[in-house]
Formats: sequence, structure tokens, C-alpha cells
Amino acid sequence: MFQNRAEALALALPAAIFAAAVFLVPVVILLSDGFRAPTGGWTISAYTDFFSNSLNQTVFLRTLRLSALVTVASAVIGYAAAFAIVSLEPGAKGKVTGLVVLPLMISPVARTYAWIVILGRTGIVNQAFQALGITEAPLRILFSETAIFIGLLQLFLPLMIISLISALENMPKDAIPAARVLGANWFQVFWKVVLPLTKEGLVIGGTLVFTGSLTAYITPAILGGSKVLMLETLLYQQVAVSNNFVAASVIAFILIVMSFAANILLKRVATARNKQRSQA
Amino acid sequence: MTARSLFIPITLLLVIAFLIGPFLIIVAASFSAGETLAFPPQGFSLRWIAKVFTVESFRASFGMSLFLAIGGTAAALVLGIPASYALSRYKLPGAEIVRTIVSAPIIVPGIIVGLALLRYIVVPFQVGITLALFLAHTALVLPYAVRVVSASLDNLRSDIEEAAVLLGSSRLGAFFRVVMPNIRGGIMSAFILGFVTSFNQVPVSLFLSGPGVRTLPVDMIAYMEIVFDPSVAALSSLLAFLSIGIVFIAERFLGFSRYV
Amino acid sequence: MNKVILASGAALMLAMSAAQTPALAQEKTLTISVYALAQDEYKQIVYEPFQKICGCKLVVETGNSVERLAKMEANKANPVVDMAVISMADALAASRAGLIDKVDTSKLSNFGKLYDIAKDPNGDGMSVGYTFYATSIAYRSDKMKIDSWADLLKPEYASHVAWPNVTTNQGPPALYMLGLALAKDTPDLKAPIEAVGAKKGEIVTFYEKSSQLVQLMQQEEIWAAPIGRFTWAPFTKLGFPIAWAMPKEGQTGGMNVMTVTKGSKNRDLALQFMDFWLSTEVQTKLAEKLIDSPSNKDVKLSEAIANNLTYGEETAKSLKLIPSAVALDNRAGWIKTWNEKVGQ
Repeated sequence: MFQNRAEALALALPAAIFAAAVFLVPVVILLSDGFRAPTGGWTISAYTDFFSNSLNQTVFLRTLRLSALVTVASAVIGYAAAFAIVSLEPGAKGKVTGLVVLPLMISPVARTYAWIVILGRTGIVNQAFQALGITEAPLRILFSETAIFIGLLQLFLPLMIISLISALENMPKDAIPAARVLGANWFQVFWKVVLPLTKEGLVIGGTLVFTGSLTAYITPAILGGSKVLMLETLLYQQVAVSNNFVAASVIAFILIVMSFAANILLKRVATARNKQRSQA
Repeated sequence: MTARSLFIPITLLLVIAFLIGPFLIIVAASFSAGETLAFPPQGFSLRWIAKVFTVESFRASFGMSLFLAIGGTAAALVLGIPASYALSRYKLPGAEIVRTIVSAPIIVPGIIVGLALLRYIVVPFQVGITLALFLAHTALVLPYAVRVVSASLDNLRSDIEEAAVLLGSSRLGAFFRVVMPNIRGGIMSAFILGFVTSFNQVPVSLFLSGPGVRTLPVDMIAYMEIVFDPSVAALSSLLAFLSIGIVFIAERFLGFSRYV
Repeated sequence: MNKVILASGAALMLAMSAAQTPALAQEKTLTISVYALAQDEYKQIVYEPFQKICGCKLVVETGNSVERLAKMEANKANPVVDMAVISMADALAASRAGLIDKVDTSKLSNFGKLYDIAKDPNGDGMSVGYTFYATSIAYRSDKMKIDSWADLLKPEYASHVAWPNVTTNQGPPALYMLGLALAKDTPDLKAPIEAVGAKKGEIVTFYEKSSQLVQLMQQEEIWAAPIGRFTWAPFTKLGFPIAWAMPKEGQTGGMNVMTVTKGSKNRDLALQFMDFWLSTEVQTKLAEKLIDSPSNKDVKLSEAIANNLTYGEETAKSLKLIPSAVALDNRAGWIKTWNEKVGQ
């Protein structure tokens, strides 16, 4: 650690000032509209109004539920995939990592349309289900929460896998064998050794996935439509159709608070594990 | 075969099939002869690929998107690398505040960012369209630049540069001679992540683009407002192959996957 | 308070914008704002020929109607755009917000050739219609028979229908026609929204982008959907028997109009451009490429072309359009009712 404050500030301030000037200040001014009373002064009535409406409650809970589900699913699948990838030999590892990153390169709009093909009544999934005798008539998967869940998971899973790969690679190589020698089962190894040592990756990946799911627009709009509104689709309606910038800033602020809360929660979960470990 | 040795290939197969499936459908549709996306594709033709090149507005907006992605990401790195260094190596007063400000653009919905910049920066200060887009893209990429570069700085032991300083090198000299070569991979992956983010950005660009200046994704959305034909798939595939090419070159010369 | 916050950011911004010299026009420049539709064809048929005539430069902004309107609103004090092409209802909104000016129709030599409904769609002298379109139902004639807008909600059909979301341009007109079919056509559209809401479980989707529909029709997810005539052509290429319904309540539709921005410094040039676009020659070419149905009644089209457009005095007169004032005054209420009955 270097101690020179002036140097530190000189290095960090340009970026901070830039982000504050071109981003934070305008956004804060816009968000403050949501707290302004029509008669002057400040109020949170726009927020109490928002949450007293039963449609908004439904949409809020749905958004929270779907984003949380996508985050949990991507963490579970992400750990499995990241484990598998780091255990490969270096050459194969690079190629498989490349395949994982690949979907990030293709426009989210195009990917969303591909799901219409896959999940449709005559799509691959339904054909496979019918061939396997899981269902007789084609299932309706499109335009439902399930479709949004699948679309979002595919959109953001790569971010989780990449965060976890680098976290797993930085883990001491002998941590797992050591725990096994000491008699821990695989579940304990994961819970008490791997999770605490990879919490940084989980927090970064989890925040990216959760925030991404909260603020995705195209995927819920196309795979869900207005049957399955999410906060972001509601926000878009307010801006683009109703020109109601106050209502829009209320929704935006709720989304921001949600993603901050998720970040803090993830950090908590990860640190709580850590404490347990140090006590044990 | 033990359960454990089966676990790896099966997991990878399922995950990759899930991640790559939609991608393959898009690529297949680009070469199909049909009027819509379908799997298996209906026939083979290059008509949709050819159509992409005949749409004039795609060319201009492609140039703009490329400029924003490269220029914006480069600017974000110029701002972000020193900031990451300060965050990782110095006792910085208010480090958490700096970190939060710099990474804030990730968590605000793009449509709000676009609207806020339009109303409170572009209009009051009469900022030109290109400059406004450039500033916005720089701000959007900055969080990724700081995050990835910080991560690779944290992985690098700081005693090397301290040793260099003790041996008489200036702090700046130590940074360029000792630190930079070691975080090259991190910088490269930050660049690629930033490039992809900027290149696919829609909502912010939607509000900031104006007469005569548009980005490619905004153009694409406008094009498919009414019709979604496989030419949009063809364009997406071409762009994906372009990005893959860039990543491949980066991997060849810099070994970027070691640092992701 | 805001000013203080803004001033802190101002220094940096000003320094950066000073580095970029404003593009001073060496020649006359006309800035127009249009839909993103078929820009390559527009360039060839409208923009380039006009630039030759006026010896000026055209700068084009594209996007959908609401986005561009939001930008005009933000730039109100110092307008960027001289002339904008928007929907009829948005033109009334723009006029109420003080964004546009009266159109001096005495300077439009082609004004007399327009269909009557296009001359002054909102009755305020602020806009001139350059194209209109019918909205009806595209359906699989081998699977169903559509004689009324209410047929879409029949139990045997509803699970094969995509309905336009209320936030799209086709949404309110389609609901309005359903209201007529149900004989409950109040401006708040309450009855038709409730009728659609009652079937929301069956209806395949409430579409936001009409571009989805061709895909859904091809995959046989849907057999029918209310659409605007301007999206009709791709459906005819799918190889299915798809028909354009002529329901007994009639067809609805919409109109797109030209407006002049308030405070524009190039008013005469804007009018000259509008006149050129409304001319028989340009309107004929745009129609022959199946881009815009003409609002100029001197345009003569072959039957093959006319069949793919919304063409002719009879058709124009028969369209049941929602008056702009009704649309504007009720839009927020429609969305509210819709979200309650359909979104939940």
C-alpha cells in the first residue's frame, strides 16, 4: 500500500469526476423529479402511490422473483460449469471459455428471436418433449415467465461463469484436497471452503446477472409481452408511450435500489460464510 | 468411468448447448433461403448476407458504432487504469465513494441514462451528437474497465513494483515497466468486454442519436420495427464473426483467456 | 439547486465541446425527422432528387414517432429539426405542447390534389397527411373465417390469435373496432379491453413489435392478428393461404402527417420539401415500391400495386379512424385499464 494521498487522488479523480459529471449528476437530477411535490418541496408520495397500486405490486414482485431465480440458477449452473472448465487442460480450457463467451458477441435482439424458434409450439423443445412422451400436446412456453427466465438465463449466464472461473483459478490449489483429507464431504467442501474463497467472483457475477435481469428490456418485451410485464417494460411504457417522466424516474429509482440491495445481500451472504469458517 | 469423470463432459455439453443453441440458429438462418427464422433452416442461400451489404444506412452506422466502441473503450481505459491503480495500491480517502461513482453506470437502466443525458447535458450545453454519444459510451464502459483492471491488479503481487521503486525506479517508471506488462491481459479483456458492451448498446444510443448520426444496433432495431427477416440474423452473425475474429487475434497475441 | 449541480459539471463539458467545432453549414441545410422505414428507397426517390432541386443539404433523423417527439420536446428552446413526419395523434400532442407551427398550405402547390381526409387531419391547420393505411385482420383462410372483429375472440379462435398491445399504434384502433363489434364503443374502450382481458389466457400474445408476427405466423403459433396494411407484404410470401379480412364493422387505420417545427429557421425550405414529397410523381414512385399509400388522389396505380396498399378515395373515406383528440385524452386511461385487465 502506498500512502501518498495527493498521488492517489490525482490518479483516481479524473475517472470519478468524469463519471460524476456526464453520468451521475444528470441521472440524479432526473431521479429527483420523483421526489418533488407539485407544490414545491419534497415528498415520497409518488412512491407510496406506486406501491399502493396492485398491478405495480404484481409487476414488482414478479421482477424480483424472476431476477432472483435467474441469479440463483446462474450461480448453481455457473459453479458446475466453472468447476468443469478449470479442471480441463490449458488448451481445452481456452477453447471452452471461448465458447462460453461466444453468445455475448451476438446481439441480444437476435438471440431473443432465436428463442421464439426454439420454444415455439413446433420448436425443438416441444418436438423433443413429444418424442420422449413427456407431453402429448405442444406446451405453451412462449410468452410466459418461463420464456423470460430462459431468455435471461442464456443472456447472463456467461457473465457468471467467467466471474467464477477467475475466482476458482485464484483459489489455492490444495484447498479442496486438504479439506477432503480432513474428512469433509463434497457439500461441506463447497459450503465451507469453495464458497468463502470464491465469494468475490460470486458477488461480482451475481450483481451483474441480477442487475442485468432487472434492466433487460428486449427479452421480457419479446418473450413476455404485456401478458407478463416486468418493471423495465413498465418503465419503457411510461417514457415512450405516456411521456410520464416522473413515473419513469420512480420505477428507475426502485430498480437502482433493488440492484444495490442485491449487491449488499450477496456480500453479506458471502461474508457470513467467511465468519463461520474462521470460527470453525 | 466414475460419476465424477462423467460430470465434467456432461455439464459442459449441456451448458454449452444451452448457450450456443440460439447462436447456431441465428447463424443457420443467415444462410437460409426462407423468409423467416426456422430450424432446421429452409434451404441454403446467400441472399440475406448479400442484403446486409446493400442496405446503405448500415454502412454509416457501422462506422459510427466502431468509432464509439473503440474510442469510447480506449477513453474509458485511459481514465480507468489510473483509477484502478489508485484503488488497488493506495490508501485512497473515500475509496468506496470513488468505486461506487465509477461503477454506477452499470446499475441505472439505460433508458433513464439516455433521457437524463439528453435533458441535462446535451440540451443545456448544446453538445454535438457525436460527442454526446462518445461521452455516454465512455461512461458506460468505465465500470467494466475499472472492474476488470482492478481484478488483475489485485492478482498481481505489489511487492514487485515496490522493489522496483526501492531499486531507484520512479513510481511512473515502475508502473510502465513492471506493472503494465503484467496486466496487459487484463487490459485486453477489459477492452473486449467494453467493446462488446458499447457495440451492443441500445437504449442510451436511442435517445442520444440524432439527425445524421446513428449507431448500428439502433439502426437494426429501427429496421426490424416492422419486419424481422433473416437479414437481421445475417447482420448479427457477421458482427459476431467480426468480434470472434478480434478475440481470436487477441488470444493469439496476448493469451487473453489466461487473464479473464 | 440544479444550477449549482449543473455548473460543477459544466466546466468539463464546455472544455470538451469547445474542442469540437460546430458543423457550420457552408450551404443551406434542411433537417428532417422521419420514420426509419425504407430509408434507402426514400433516399433514392425523395432525398437525393430534392437536394438537386434545392441545391441544399438534407440531414435525416430516423426513429419511431414517440422517441423523436421526446427529443423535439427536449430541444424545444433551440429546435434541431425543421420538419418532422409523425403520426396523426402525435401531431396533435406536438401542437398542444407548442412544438409545431401552422402549415402555410398556400405554399404547397400539390395541396389541392390531396384526399380531403389528408388536408387537415386534426382540424387545426398544423399538419398535412402524406400517407394513410388501413388496419384489419390478417388470417389463415384455411383455418378460420373472419367476418367481424369479435370473431377473433371466439373460443375456437382465441388461442390462435396475437392481439396488438395497447401501447402500439395498432392497439387502440383494433380495440375501437372490437368495441363497435360489441356495440359498446365508448371512447374509454372499457368494454373491448375487458373482452380481451377475459380471453387473455387464451390469446397467444399481446405483441409490441409487428415484426414478430411474420415469425409467429410461419411457425403456426398464430392464425390471425390485427395488423396495419404497411406490414402486409411479408405475410403473402409465407406460402400459407393468408387473407386480409373485410369485417362487417369495417377497417380502421391510421395516418402519418408532416409538420413544421416551431422556431425553424428554414420554414420555406421545409415547405418546398413537403410539396415535393406530396407531388404526384414522388407519391407514385413511393407507392410503386409498396412503401407508402398515396394521399395524392392524382396518383394512378396498377391493380397489382393497389392491392398491396391502401388505395383510392372510397377506401380512404371508409376507414374508421380514432380522432386524435380522443386518442390523446384517453391514452393514459386506456393503458391503465389495459394494465389492470390484461397485464395482471
